[in-house]
Amino acid sequence: MLSRREFLNRSGFGLGALGLTGLMADAGLNPQTAQGAVSPMAAKPPHFPGKAKHVIHIFCNGGPSHVDTFDPKPMLEKYAGKELPTGNLKTERKTGAALPSPFKFRKYGESGIEISELFENVGKYCADDLCVVRSMHADVPNHEPSLMLMNCGDGRLVRPSMGSWVTYGLGTENQNLPGFIAMCPKGLPVTETANWRSAFLPGVYQGTYIDTQHTNIEKLIENIRNKQLPLDRQRDQIDLLQSLNRRHLSERPHDSALESRIHSFELAYRMQIEAADAFDINNEPKHIREMYGEGVHARQLLIARRLVERGVRFVQLWHGAGQPWDNHDDLERNHRRLAGQQDQPLSALLRDLKQRGMLDETLVLWGGEFGRTPVVELPTPGANQGKVNGRDHNHHGFSVWMAGGGAKGGQVYGATDEFGFKAVENRVHVHDLHATMLKMLGFDHEKLTYRFAGRDFRLTDVHGRIIDDLIA
Amino acid sequence: MRFSLRHFVTSCWMLAGMMAGPAVAADPTPEQLAHFESHIRPLLVKRCVGCHGAEKQQGDLRLDRRVFAIGEGDGPIVPGKVDESRLIDVIQYDELDTQMPPAGKLPDDEIRLLTEWVKAGAPWPDDGGAEEVAHGGLPRTADGKIDFAAAAQQHWAYQPVERPEPPAVQHEDQVRNEIDRFVLRKLEANGLNLSSEADPRTLIRRASVDLIGLSPSYEEVEQFRADESPEAYERVVERLLDSPQYGQRWARHWLDVARYADTKGYVFTENRFYPYSYTYRDYVVEALNSDKPYDRFLIEQIAADQLDLPENDPALAALGFLTVGPRFLNRTPDIIDDRIDVISRGVMGMTVACARCHDHKYDPIPTADYYALYGVFNSCFEPEEGPIVGEIKETPEYLAFKAELDKRQAAVDAYVAKAHGELLADARNRAGDYLLAVLKKTGKLGDAKVEYSGEKEPRDRLTRLWIDFVARRMRENDPVFVPWKLLVESPDEEFADRVARCIDPERSGELGGPANPQILAALAGTPPASKMDVARVYGRVLAEIDQQWQALRKETPDATQLSEPAAEQIRGVLYGSGSVSDVPVGDAERRLFERDHRNQVRNLRKKVADWKVTSPGAPPRAMVLLDKEKPVQPVIFERGNPGRRGDRVPRRFPQILGAVAGEFKEGSGRLELARAVASPENPLTARVIVNRVWMHHFGNPLVATPSDFGTRADPPTHPELLDWLAWTFMHQDNWSLKALHRRIMLSATYRQASGDRPEARTVDPENQLLWRMNRRRLEFEAMRDGLLAAAGRLDPAAGGRPVDLGKKPDFNRRTIYALIDRNNFPGLLRTFDLPSPDSSAPQRPRTTVPQQALFGMNAPFVQEIAGEIAGQVKANAPSPEGQVDAAFRQVLGRDPDGEERALAVAYLQKSPERLTDFVQALLLTNEFMFVD
Repeated sequence: MLSRREFLNRSGFGLGALGLTGLMADAGLNPQTAQGAVSPMAAKPPHFPGKAKHVIHIFCNGGPSHVDTFDPKPMLEKYAGKELPTGNLKTERKTGAALPSPFKFRKYGESGIEISELFENVGKYCADDLCVVRSMHADVPNHEPSLMLMNCGDGRLVRPSMGSWVTYGLGTENQNLPGFIAMCPKGLPVTETANWRSAFLPGVYQGTYIDTQHTNIEKLIENIRNKQLPLDRQRDQIDLLQSLNRRHLSERPHDSALESRIHSFELAYRMQIEAADAFDINNEPKHIREMYGEGVHARQLLIARRLVERGVRFVQLWHGAGQPWDNHDDLERNHRRLAGQQDQPLSALLRDLKQRGMLDETLVLWGGEFGRTPVVELPTPGANQGKVNGRDHNHHGFSVWMAGGGAKGGQVYGATDEFGFKAVENRVHVHDLHATMLKMLGFDHEKLTYRFAGRDFRLTDVHGRIIDDLIA
Repeated sequence: MRFSLRHFVTSCWMLAGMMAGPAVAADPTPEQLAHFESHIRPLLVKRCVGCHGAEKQQGDLRLDRRVFAIGEGDGPIVPGKVDESRLIDVIQYDELDTQMPPAGKLPDDEIRLLTEWVKAGAPWPDDGGAEEVAHGGLPRTADGKIDFAAAAQQHWAYQPVERPEPPAVQHEDQVRNEIDRFVLRKLEANGLNLSSEADPRTLIRRASVDLIGLSPSYEEVEQFRADESPEAYERVVERLLDSPQYGQRWARHWLDVARYADTKGYVFTENRFYPYSYTYRDYVVEALNSDKPYDRFLIEQIAADQLDLPENDPALAALGFLTVGPRFLNRTPDIIDDRIDVISRGVMGMTVACARCHDHKYDPIPTADYYALYGVFNSCFEPEEGPIVGEIKETPEYLAFKAELDKRQAAVDAYVAKAHGELLADARNRAGDYLLAVLKKTGKLGDAKVEYSGEKEPRDRLTRLWIDFVARRMRENDPVFVPWKLLVESPDEEFADRVARCIDPERSGELGGPANPQILAALAGTPPASKMDVARVYGRVLAEIDQQWQALRKETPDATQLSEPAAEQIRGVLYGSGSVSDVPVGDAERRLFERDHRNQVRNLRKKVADWKVTSPGAPPRAMVLLDKEKPVQPVIFERGNPGRRGDRVPRRFPQILGAVAGEFKEGSGRLELARAVASPENPLTARVIVNRVWMHHFGNPLVATPSDFGTRADPPTHPELLDWLAWTFMHQDNWSLKALHRRIMLSATYRQASGDRPEARTVDPENQLLWRMNRRRLEFEAMRDGLLAAAGRLDPAAGGRPVDLGKKPDFNRRTIYALIDRNNFPGLLRTFDLPSPDSSAPQRPRTTVPQQALFGMNAPFVQEIAGEIAGQVKANAPSPEGQVDAAFRQVLGRDPDGEERALAVAYLQKSPERLTDFVQALLLTNEFMFVD
């Protein structure tokens, strides 16, 4: 427990916010006890009512190519194999001539958003829900700092992740599940657990990592099952524990720390059951499972919906270990494979959220740490396979999209130059995206702060501009 | 915007002092002012002041008052000079420049309005605000600089530590030592007093957990309860202070401050583990056990290398304090920042790192002070391998380690040698291609596409080698390259004539120097039509000569040269001293290797590093920091950006502590820094440590922010007590931490009960006045150590390499010896509030979440412990009653009361295998987890 004083000292919330901490989905929990301690995970209201209550962040780690997905550039055809008249901007590696997208773009929905065949299902079923930002830009063309910037708001220094900030600000609605969950099949992305770290925020706000290659709940969440005791026998054991604890407490009245630890065993007991259920997609009807399709991405997207449905605050889904979308070679083949794993379940997720009325309060963000160059990457021994059929990193301009949760759907915002190299119109920096997302969640990004080492830190540091046009 | 806040502040002050500065050319007319107020000011307010005004100063810039916007001519608006006005620049929305306002380009008429107004001299009335320039209310001297003497006067933490007189109190009977007088004085002022002394069982457990992190055994408790002598408690405290377990407990507290970890943080492909971080951890344990005076402890941690210690002195490992921090992908400014932070915040409670990009917003710490310390650490380096700590013992483990290490190192050397040979062979064998590449890279071929004979393109590094080589040979008028120079540097229209000069023996005087006859002959044989042909001719000649040479070596292996002088001259291009392949193997990585070879070497090197990390026989080494030969003169990095170098600053101690030390003179200044940090004149260091020690004894510190004693920190709850503790610590106890523990623990304040007193709770619900002892929960380490101890399997061995609890959860040694991986800090440890080792942690949060309970309920480790205890209990007591009693004694150090026994026996009667479940329940009780 943070003491009330500690909590007030550190957080940007006033007393008013704390007065409302009773807003708990979990009826059994009394977050505020006699001495004013407050559960760090208790649901709390934001600064002002926000449309988004949950976030699902689909992270295409490695950097998906915007000119092959959500930002069509017909001019690249014209210059195919030739140098761009505007020259190449500096990226990580040597680049050469214009490389037109091998994928066909089409207009979808009433809004007529142009999307490539890679995300045909997303286009066909969900275009009018998408808020595509084509004018994103970041700071450098390297993975590590860009991952850190996208996730933690700073490319170099150790700062808490967006999921940690949101969980710190809003708590979570289901005390039987972790509030912030990061899923990645078969290992960790580059920069590893730093992507969902809580840094100087209390450790409870760190993302709980789940390796979705497993289907067994015991491998998904640490210590979620007791391998020796059946549940009924464990219930007896907890009952014995609680009678001992209550005797202990009766001689030590008015101690919220003792009380909340007693309570935590009840929560833990229930978490065992609820978590197992949340992660078991076999509990879904067949038609829903079929809508999402086969494979690990279908499974983890469906799990994401089940988690959000149960009140989990922030879910981040990674495509896989390392950086699968980093296609310096064989971009066509690899992007087709990767998008193929994502397209159907992704559109299923959006439709599924919508049909359940959950899309309005679930903010879905899709994107990578940056985009890719519209020009081909040249061979460099040891750096690529020298096939001259891939693209280099591009932080000058790239696309992300949001859907639901307060994002204004059916629109394209901003633009890159005619070749897709650099964001030129209505530029949106990663800090601006963060500020805007926080606003959708009900926060003034300048006031969601935490005092550490003599400073009030925030996700957007000293930056961040709210893009009102992105907000519904 | 380009100007710095510091300049800005200074100039504004000067302006204020001079009344009408030079920027104010003429008084604006009333019409001009009306125009300003009706058109310009509203425009600025509408478009700019939201981010650049009194509320916010993005980029340290304000456009709401004249002093900020115009200043003394160095503001963003320069009256009359549109070209020099940064404001006008940025609203042009030029692609390559900052674009303001960020929301979009201003309408043309607004841009015109602003431009014309600036052109007209930017008439703007004096609208005050200069007083606001002095930020944070810091006192300033006439020239606008921080008045450090006055600032030190204003804040309690900067004032010298003096010895306050312990006050007289009403409850004289409650006083055991001076601490109690200070505490009682405040309690009495609120109509309260201390609680009575805790019962002996509580007292011995409290003392034991506090000092050694372990609960006393049942026997120890009973013995203490039976001992009625007045010195019984003091003897317990002494015994605990003498225990080697004391250092293992308190070192962990210090390691939180020292942001200790066994890995470097994300470092890309480098080996992430520190092979020798544990030598620092072991140093701390040992230093605390031997009660090394705290000042000496600090000096060693900052400058042990400069204390004339013997070569392999274990104290050198103290420098790990500086070097076990995160590596930030090896970015020097961030590594230095971490070191500044751990010393300033961790040791002195100063948030100096706030001044990296701008002057501290609240405390008297200018950016100059940050870079003064930056200079100290930038004048230091870490040797590739630190000194061995202690003597190497030639044990079989060590010999095995050494043999394998040599093998792995040899693999690195062999690879480098092989690649070196192959690359140089490539440079020779494809001389023609490389000469073509030289022409291409040096721009001699324009846009022409070059066809190379080989399958692979010439390598960049080897091309570079050839370029440098050819340039040098041309400079030296090497006869081989005289025709080359003539031909490749020829204007196109002269090329044919120059070829003719080479071919015609009559014209040999027109070549610019003596030329190699074989080259000339080859040119005559195949007259080049282009510069590319020249390279091809040279390539052929070089290949032929190489063939001759190889053939000769086959016949006469000890041949040293070709007999024909002209041929030998050409051979000298390829072989021997000064040739293109004259690159020593030691330079191969730097001059020849590209990414492919570098990757290979790195992988092999990683195997060397891996071995040092994993081999049990690797001798321990100290992670030292040493001074560079020449110290670096620091400069301020404007806005923290190393690319924007500002004023020079001396290496020196923070100016607010100018009474302690000034500029550093010797080497990097690190030893002087260490001595200043640990000086009895330093008002912060002693206060900070006594506050930390107090926090660990009472659960709450006297100063609520233990690593921030700055102006925004809450003042101490008991200022006189803090000073008295700090003073006696330095001047009476010679910086002895054990003496400090003794003083605190022998006080009645520490010995009081933790029970509730409703009347006191009403007055002081948070117990800030200390009317009772705070109940405290065991940290993760104490909990885990306690579990091991309860099962009788805690191995008290000290020191050595860390062990990964993820891989070996049943590791029997104290938890301080578990691996701390800062890259992937285990979720379990974060769940139990271990602080992130990414930066110095002031104190641990205290959260209660179900994942903690899940660990207790379900972790195989806990079940294993419970099973073992159950087995021991069963072996000694056949009856359920006897088993219950034995389990209570073993886990909680006491006998159960009748009701508890009945409860437990009833539980066991359901089935005999429930003994383990019951023991586990005892291990999970609040009684086990909390100390009264």
